[in-house]
Amino acid sequence: MKPAMKAIIRKDIRGITANRQLFSMILLVPLMLSVLLPSLFVLLTHFMPEESADFQKVLDMMPFFAPGEDTETRVLRLIIDYMLPMFFLMIPVMASSVMAGSAFVGEKEKQTLETLLYCPLSLKEIFRAKVIATFGLGMGVSALSFLSMLLVVETQIYLLRGAFLWPSASWLMILLLVAPALSLIAITLIVRVSAKAQNAVEAQQSAVFLVLPIIFLMAGQMTGVLLLNAWILLGIGLGAAGLAFLLLSRAMSGFTYEKLLKR
Amino acid sequence: MQAIETIQLGKTYPSGKEAVRGLNLSLPEGEVFGFLGPNGAGKTTAVKLLTGLLAPTTGQSRVMGLNPAQEVEQVHALSGVVTEHAQMYDHLSGMDNLCFYGEVFGLTREDSRQRAEELLRHLQLKDAESGKLATYSTGMRQRLSLARALMHRPRMLFLDEPTSGLDPQSAQQVNGMIRHLAREEGTTVFLCTHQLRYAQEICTRYGLISHGQLLIEGTLDSLRDKVLPCLTVRIQASKPPEGMDIQAAEDGMYEIKVSAEQDIPVLVRGIVRAGGDVYQVAQEKPSLEDIYFALTSGEVQPE
Repeated sequence: MKPAMKAIIRKDIRGITANRQLFSMILLVPLMLSVLLPSLFVLLTHFMPEESADFQKVLDMMPFFAPGEDTETRVLRLIIDYMLPMFFLMIPVMASSVMAGSAFVGEKEKQTLETLLYCPLSLKEIFRAKVIATFGLGMGVSALSFLSMLLVVETQIYLLRGAFLWPSASWLMILLLVAPALSLIAITLIVRVSAKAQNAVEAQQSAVFLVLPIIFLMAGQMTGVLLLNAWILLGIGLGAAGLAFLLLSRAMSGFTYEKLLKR
Repeated sequence: MQAIETIQLGKTYPSGKEAVRGLNLSLPEGEVFGFLGPNGAGKTTAVKLLTGLLAPTTGQSRVMGLNPAQEVEQVHALSGVVTEHAQMYDHLSGMDNLCFYGEVFGLTREDSRQRAEELLRHLQLKDAESGKLATYSTGMRQRLSLARALMHRPRMLFLDEPTSGLDPQSAQQVNGMIRHLAREEGTTVFLCTHQLRYAQEICTRYGLISHGQLLIEGTLDSLRDKVLPCLTVRIQASKPPEGMDIQAAEDGMYEIKVSAEQDIPVLVRGIVRAGGDVYQVAQEKPSLEDIYFALTSGEVQPE
């Protein structure tokens, strides 16, 4: 990678983290989704009356529980391995969209894009540097969210039950494949509209619909229509990665200086 | 090698506006070229064509032997550009902004810092180097933009209205820097401005543009020869010179147009021979403004 691209990556990361308003928004929502919500679920599960017959019936319908597990363990596993991943997947989509909007269209808004275009890099190199910066930061926020969630939830479970309840292998698929792929899709969607969009919010709206499939998956989990296991997640992850690659390779086609500078 | 060469260079925007029409230009290296015309004349479009940010609709251009439409990165590597819309980052300090652009142009971090310090000192911005750009005044921003464009020691400098909105002191510093660059470092400067008097102070060659069309190009003397080959003589005397076409007369001060310097002694001798006294004589060559207005008003056609 050219040193000039590295300089742009560093500058973009610094630009986002130095913007307190933007960065606190990027951190606040993940904090709610990965710490507050899971923590609340764990507490509710622990203090839920065990004789809830209806809920027991729902749990009995689930095909994946080991025999002999108590209700609380089953509910906690349902939460950790089937519900939290869906909340978690919102984080890379949201963080990447907000940061990509700021990194691509934000430059246009602040009239710094033209200055950047005068540098001795091709348009593709400039945009590649920006994709790397926003993707890296998006993944950083996602990893941080996951670690915070793990720390808080496991500590809570240990304190309440005296033993840990580790997440299943599905999380590996989510962390290593689905989340990065969704993050890249969100970024490329923003890049695609960045030539036309006049402000960051307008660009961010183009990635909003990415949340819909996650909501559908969440509904599937909650109703039991589609319960995600590691294999299904692998399939979704590979599909999303393929789509991300395809979108990324086409995102900048047809970009010219003239189109980018159009006001 | 010519620093800039354009052949029938033209740009028509999708809206149909013909911003630049058939521009033919040949600019030797080391010149400070004043590209002059009112707002909307096509100056900024010409800069964008020469820096590869716009694709020409007709003709072609070369900057230091490179074609900006095809070798845009190479053209950028040897050019520095200051335009109204090329701003820097408000959240970074003046020093950090310069270091960033230095690194983007291939300087190491250490070299960027050294070069930035040198330029900040030259442009009287050393005291504000650690302040965020958001706190800079217009003049300071403009000077920092010039410093940014000079970070990688460009051979070609494009300046679009570099002193607009500057106080006289800041404008003087910018002018001093431009002169220094051209004289000491051999940088070719392509300076766009609508301030003709300002351009006359620092440019060595001029191109006058109106409605996208280059009206005339050359040194100031050659423009005078082509457009207004006459001198204005102001003479204070006890009586008017006889047989001359007096343009204005007020309190013994007469304004007369002559075609050459050799006509002035003849004029003075005429007054003295007629018994008049001459108190002072001053000659005035046509300014860029005179030339520009003579051309745009249609009074004169360049020879």
